[in-house]
Amino acid sequence: MKNKNSQGAQESPSRCPDNSAFKQQKLPAWKPKLTAPTVLSSFFTIGVFCLLVGICLILYARSVKEIQINYSDICLNCSKLRENSSNWDKECNCSVYFTLQENMLGDVFMYYRLQNFYQNHRRYVLSRSDAQLLGQDVNIQNSNCAPFTIYPNGTPMAPCGAIANSMFNDSIQLFYYLNSSTAIKVPLLKSGNSWWSDKNVKFRNPTSYNLSSAFAGTTRPPYWQKPAYLLDEEDERNNGYINDDFIIWMRVSAFPTFRNLYRHLRHTNQFADGLPAGNYTFHITYNFPVTKFKGEKQVVLSTSTWSGGSNLFLGIAYTVSGAVIVLAGFIITAIHLKLRKKKTYFQR
Amino acid sequence: MDYAKLYEPGQLNLLFNKRKFFICIAHGVYTSFALFFIPYGAFYNTAGEDGKHIADYQSFAVTVATSLVIVVSVQIALDTSYWTAINRFFILGSIAVYFAILFAMHSDGIFVIFPNHFPFVGNARNSLSQISVWLVILLTTVISVMPVITFRFLKEDLNPTLIDQVRKLQKARRKQKPLQNYMCQVSRRSSRRSAYAFSHQEGFGELITSGKNMTMHNSISWIENLRKKTAETVNSFRSDRTVKL
Repeated sequence: MKNKNSQGAQESPSRCPDNSAFKQQKLPAWKPKLTAPTVLSSFFTIGVFCLLVGICLILYARSVKEIQINYSDICLNCSKLRENSSNWDKECNCSVYFTLQENMLGDVFMYYRLQNFYQNHRRYVLSRSDAQLLGQDVNIQNSNCAPFTIYPNGTPMAPCGAIANSMFNDSIQLFYYLNSSTAIKVPLLKSGNSWWSDKNVKFRNPTSYNLSSAFAGTTRPPYWQKPAYLLDEEDERNNGYINDDFIIWMRVSAFPTFRNLYRHLRHTNQFADGLPAGNYTFHITYNFPVTKFKGEKQVVLSTSTWSGGSNLFLGIAYTVSGAVIVLAGFIITAIHLKLRKKKTYFQR
Repeated sequence: MDYAKLYEPGQLNLLFNKRKFFICIAHGVYTSFALFFIPYGAFYNTAGEDGKHIADYQSFAVTVATSLVIVVSVQIALDTSYWTAINRFFILGSIAVYFAILFAMHSDGIFVIFPNHFPFVGNARNSLSQISVWLVILLTTVISVMPVITFRFLKEDLNPTLIDQVRKLQKARRKQKPLQNYMCQVSRRSSRRSAYAFSHQEGFGELITSGKNMTMHNSISWIENLRKKTAETVNSFRSDRTVKL
C-alpha cells in the first residue's frame, strides 16, 4: 500500500497546500487568557485611575464660578407683551440687578440659556440651506427650507429656513456700579465666539461691491427685524451671514436646555483680571418670546476650565465608577480565593 | 480529533440558545444606555473649555459615534482569543479607517464641493480636540466593557467550560514541550518506541490484524514497511516541533 502511494506521488503533483505558516494556519499568534492576576490587577489599576480622574474633575468643576439669572421670570411685563405677536414693533426693555460676591478671575463668558426649546427637532434641524449660507446663488425652493423660502410676492428669504428664522434676538448689556451712582458699561467682545471653521469655511457672504448689493433681490425672514446685511453695521467681518450670533444660533443644540455663547469679557481697564465683585445690572432688550412653549430664558456669567464648565456629572460618574470597579475588584478577589475549584484538567 | 469531546457543546446547542440570545440583547440594551446617557449627562448645559460650543447636535453625534466604534472594537478584542498579525491589522485598521473617514467627511475640501451633503465641516477637529470629549469616550468604554470582563472572568474561574479547560491544558503542555524536545533527541536509539507513543497516525493495528505479517515471504517486506512507517512518524513528529504554535 505504501509502495503504491509513493510511486503515485512521484507521477502527479501533491495537492497539499504549501508548507508556509500562513497556509497551514500556523501563524505566530498571541493567545491571551483572562487569568486572575491580569484581570484583578487591571481592575485595580482602572478603578484607581477613574477615582483620581473623577476627583480631579470634581475639584475643577467646583472651582468654576457661575451665576445664572432667570430673566423671563423677572421681566414679566415684557414676557406678556411678547405673547401677542402684533406687538412686534414695540420695544421692551428690562433691567436685572444682581451682585457678585466674589471676583470672577480669568476668562469670563456671558451665555444666554434657553429651556424647553427643542432645537433638535428633526424637521427644524433639516430646515436650512448650507449652499445659500456659503454665498452661492442657489434656488432655495429645492432645499429643505420650506415653508420659509419665498414670500407670496416672489422675493426669496435670505437666510432661508426655520432655524435662521427663529434666531435669538434679545440684546443684553452688562453694567458695573463703580459706586452707588456711576455705572460703567462692561466691555464685551461680540466676535471670536464661534468656531474658526464655521466663521471661515461654513459661512461666507455673497460677493459683490458692497454687502447690501450682494443681498439685493432678497429680503429678511419674517421674524427678523433687520435684514442680514444690517446685523452688525460696525464690523464688516461680523456682518451678513458671518455674524457670530447668527453662526452660533445656526449650530443647533442637541438638547432642549442649552446655553449659547453671547459675549465674552474684554480685559481692559478695571476688568483686566476679570469681573470684580460688586453690583451689576443687565439691560435687556426683550424680543424673543418664550411663554408660548413654556420656555425660559436665563443669562449666565461663567468662567471656564480645561475640563469644561461647572457640570459635575462627569466627575461624579468617574468617581462612582472608579469606586465600583475597585469594590468589584475586592469582591472578585474574595470569590476567586474562596470558591475556585481545584484545577481539574480535562480528562480524556 | 484530539479532543473529541469538544464537539459536544455544539451538538447540545450550548453556545447559542434562547438564554444566550436574551443575555446578548440585555448586554446590547445596557451598552446603548451607557453610550447615550453618559454623553448626555456630561454635555447637558455645558460649553467647551474655551466657552464655545460643545453640546451642539453635531458634536454630540461625533462623540457618541466615536465611543461606539471604540466600545465595539474593544469588545471584539476581548472576544478574540487567537491574535495573529491579520487580526491585529484588521481590528486596529478598522479604528484607523473610521478616523480617516471621519476627518475626510468633516474636511473643508469636500464641504466646498457638496455643501448640502456634508454639513459636518470642522466638527471632527473641534470636538475631538476637547479633553472632555475624550474623557467621556473613555468613561463610556470603561462602563461598557468592565461588566463583560467581570462576568467572563468569574464564569471561567468558577465554572470553566470544556473549551477553557482544553486551553489551560494546551498552555500547560506547551510549557512542558521544551523538556520533551531534549528527551526525544537523546533517546534516538529507541525511536521506534517513542514514535509509537506520540503517534498521531493509525499505528500498526491494521497491519497486524490484516494478517499480512503472518506469511513467510512477506516478512522482509513487512520489516521494511515497519521501518518506513516509524521513520515517517518520527519525521512528521519532528516537523510538528519546528513550527511554533
